[in-house]
Amino acid sequence: MSEIVPILFEGEPVPARAGESVAAALTAHGIRGFRITRTAAERGMFCGMGVCQDCLVEVDGLPGRRACMTVVDRPLTIRRQRHGQALPTQTSELPPATIDELEVERPELLVIGAGPGGLCAAIAARRAGAEVVVLDERRSPGGQYFKPVAVAGDDIQPPDAQHREGLALVAQARAAGVVIRSGVSVWGAFRPLEFAATSGTGETQRYLPRAVVVATGAYERPWPVPGWELPGVMTTGAAQTLWRTARRLPGRRVMIAGNGPLNLQLAAELHGGGADVVAVVEAAGSPARSPGAAAAMALASPALVVQGLAYQWRCLTGGVPMLHNMVVSSVEPRGDGLAVTLTGGGAMRVLETDVLCLGYGFEPSNELLRALGCRHDHDGMRLVTWRDADGQTSVPGVYALGDCTGLGGARVAAADGTLAGLAAAAGLGHAIGPELARDRKQAAATAQRHRRFQQALWTVYRAPALAIAQVPDDTMICRCEEVRFGAARAAIADGLADAGSVKRATRIGMGPCQGRYCRPLLESLISEATGKAPDELSGFAPRPPFRPVTIRDLAGKS
Amino acid sequence: MSLALPATIGTVVIGGGVVGACLAGFLADEGQDVLVVDDGRGAGSSANAGSLHVQMQSRFMRLYPEHVPNMELQLPLYPKAVAFWRELGTSLNADFDLKMTGGLMVAESQDQLDFLKLKAARERQLGLDVEILDRAQLDAIAPYFGPAIVGAELCANEGKLNPLLCNAAIRSWILARGVVLAEGVNVAAITRAGQGFSVATTRGTVACGRVVLAAGSGTRPLAAGLGLPVPAVAEPLHMNITEATAPLIGHLVQHADRMITLKQFGTGQIVIGGGWPARQDSPGGHAEVELASLIANASLAQHIVPSIGHLRIIRTWAGLNTSVDGMGVLGAVPAVPGLFVAIPGDAGYTLGPLSARLVADVMLGREPGEDLNPFRPERFA
Repeated sequence: MSEIVPILFEGEPVPARAGESVAAALTAHGIRGFRITRTAAERGMFCGMGVCQDCLVEVDGLPGRRACMTVVDRPLTIRRQRHGQALPTQTSELPPATIDELEVERPELLVIGAGPGGLCAAIAARRAGAEVVVLDERRSPGGQYFKPVAVAGDDIQPPDAQHREGLALVAQARAAGVVIRSGVSVWGAFRPLEFAATSGTGETQRYLPRAVVVATGAYERPWPVPGWELPGVMTTGAAQTLWRTARRLPGRRVMIAGNGPLNLQLAAELHGGGADVVAVVEAAGSPARSPGAAAAMALASPALVVQGLAYQWRCLTGGVPMLHNMVVSSVEPRGDGLAVTLTGGGAMRVLETDVLCLGYGFEPSNELLRALGCRHDHDGMRLVTWRDADGQTSVPGVYALGDCTGLGGARVAAADGTLAGLAAAAGLGHAIGPELARDRKQAAATAQRHRRFQQALWTVYRAPALAIAQVPDDTMICRCEEVRFGAARAAIADGLADAGSVKRATRIGMGPCQGRYCRPLLESLISEATGKAPDELSGFAPRPPFRPVTIRDLAGKS
Repeated sequence: MSLALPATIGTVVIGGGVVGACLAGFLADEGQDVLVVDDGRGAGSSANAGSLHVQMQSRFMRLYPEHVPNMELQLPLYPKAVAFWRELGTSLNADFDLKMTGGLMVAESQDQLDFLKLKAARERQLGLDVEILDRAQLDAIAPYFGPAIVGAELCANEGKLNPLLCNAAIRSWILARGVVLAEGVNVAAITRAGQGFSVATTRGTVACGRVVLAAGSGTRPLAAGLGLPVPAVAEPLHMNITEATAPLIGHLVQHADRMITLKQFGTGQIVIGGGWPARQDSPGGHAEVELASLIANASLAQHIVPSIGHLRIIRTWAGLNTSVDGMGVLGAVPAVPGLFVAIPGDAGYTLGPLSARLVADVMLGREPGEDLNPFRPERFA
């Protein structure tokens, strides 16, 4: 049996598994409402990866803790976070601090993010002779692709091939001499090349590397429909984290809706884990309608196609209904669960579920790159970091790769990681020997091949974009500040024509997630109203801290 | 809005911050046609942290001791400026989240308290409502300070407001009055043309009878182009805001010897500022925050009010304050008929609406009710 740690939630005992997140333990016991908003609404886990700030709880009397990022490593007393609640009064005072009192590290190469791309970059640079430190916010390396299993016991389903691949990569990095620091959140980047980070124990550090590789990945793109803020609505990634890291199901009945293959993988995994997958709702049509693109995928990466077919097979044989050409158009509470309205092709269906997972693509986590002044171009959907073929950005010494620079998936990130790691090492004066040069050539070819795969994949999964004009006025645009589309439209109609002005007039984007979900939506609204294409400056300016940080953590060693 | 600018208009106000916007509103209230041109970067007003300053800020006294006589000259305007904010809120029927809580400048040592006593004595002579509190008296009205604080100067005329609410209400008011608001437009040059001016902008040229320079430190190059030296400099400053918590800090809090302002908005969020530097790489460029200021400012805040240590900072930002010589630059420029300057002074947001009204009075031929001679724009010539 897995080790059970007793935690208390609002005074009620909840048996948690050692190593899982507070969010996983609560979810497994049917608790979905964590935070209470200003308007007394309940919010639950949404992103499951520390971005959205909707799962805030009070842990052992300390407010503002993210349930999804808080590890159950000892008995904990958990309470709901209530908006504007009073602070604990017994707080010792710390003397005023200066930046000179912060611990400073000067690694030769700093890699931010320990997903496949960051790890491959670190390994490549280390092999070329660079001294490499990797920082990662999660408790163990692997990122959002590998999502390492965090619980143990004979009742726990063992790691699968994807997990094992991640463990092997981490082991390879460590064996090569890469220093990996987990539980370190990098929340500030300052020009020319300075980073601020806080460790899990609250120590704030400054990193002044000679070069940096930014591999901070992506988070789910919002799908704003009435009710998308309700507890029980979460991202596909959040549900996958529950299952892959904690072996917990998000609910008994789960509906998975969105666009792309990740939703199918989640359906197969949750079905295998015993969930009743109500339906997989795919915005695109059936893959059978694009045989050419499917063939191109098979040529570029037969293994990934086989994997995709396996997920599909597991869903089919498991009796999971696949609904193509449909999207979620609203969600409302019904009984203990949710009633989800689906529309598409002139049809409408209402299905009931306990949990709705939304997976409508990704947004790059590019705030560090933007703060450093790296050039970005807007491709109409999202910002793409300008990089040369080796991953060097427009700022000397700053390399970037993977989903934070645009999107491309784990395989592209890994191959680009090798390229960027070698380029960074070369830029630092390390020689790239013949063996590494061969690896570089191979990585470049692999990256190209997987880019072709991605291109074909998204041809197969081509779906209509969100019709921003059709989103009803009473739909939440800013989840943090509880501002609705109607308020955004009114401000724009009032003549405000840039995101910053609308933000100041409406509070859209002023909450703790820093506008990560409302920003692309507001940008689209403004672009549609003004006819001006979004660009590098049309969103909100990057404002540290990119993760909220307590004043005590800034004030010095806890 | 990418609408074409009018070819001719009565008055062009350059700068759409609190001063320029209010001034345009006061002129429009009297039926004048006004164009406000703003470069859209919202250098000062949109970044303001909402303090209603009255007592002399120790920061400026330390940084610019030579400005103290000028600061004292303008001091009587400060309580009037705060009162005028209240009047403006009433006349616009707007909620500014304005609270007349009083302001506390805290001391950590007897030396600092002695400095506050001297300062308070001088301020009392100049008409301010100030008193010195020892720790016990302080605890009776403000039970949130940490052990380091020994006493404070209380200035009853001080308070706070939420600039986001103010800016939005002022914008609605002037748009309703028919002011033409050109945002995201830069002024390249102002030249004399006949009895008036020709204002060249990035969206075309506008002919007008009168020009008001209300662009903070951006006034300097524009005034220089018309032969008027105005030594206004931009002071890039750092600010922080926390998530919301229950009502805790009622007053506007400052420190006798360290740079800080600390206040809580009606939203429950605590704003921490007070003059820590931000970085501006090029004149007119965006100001950016620096880690050193964030660390120093935030750690000082919890040193003064320890219980906020567990609160999370959710955002920092930088804005530009405008500093001249400890005083505002207000009024007509006799050597250049039709030219007016409106730079409010050290606490620009506090002084903004009143400064705008005084200059509007001059332009409208009304008696401003204050001696504006000390603030005359030509004093640097």
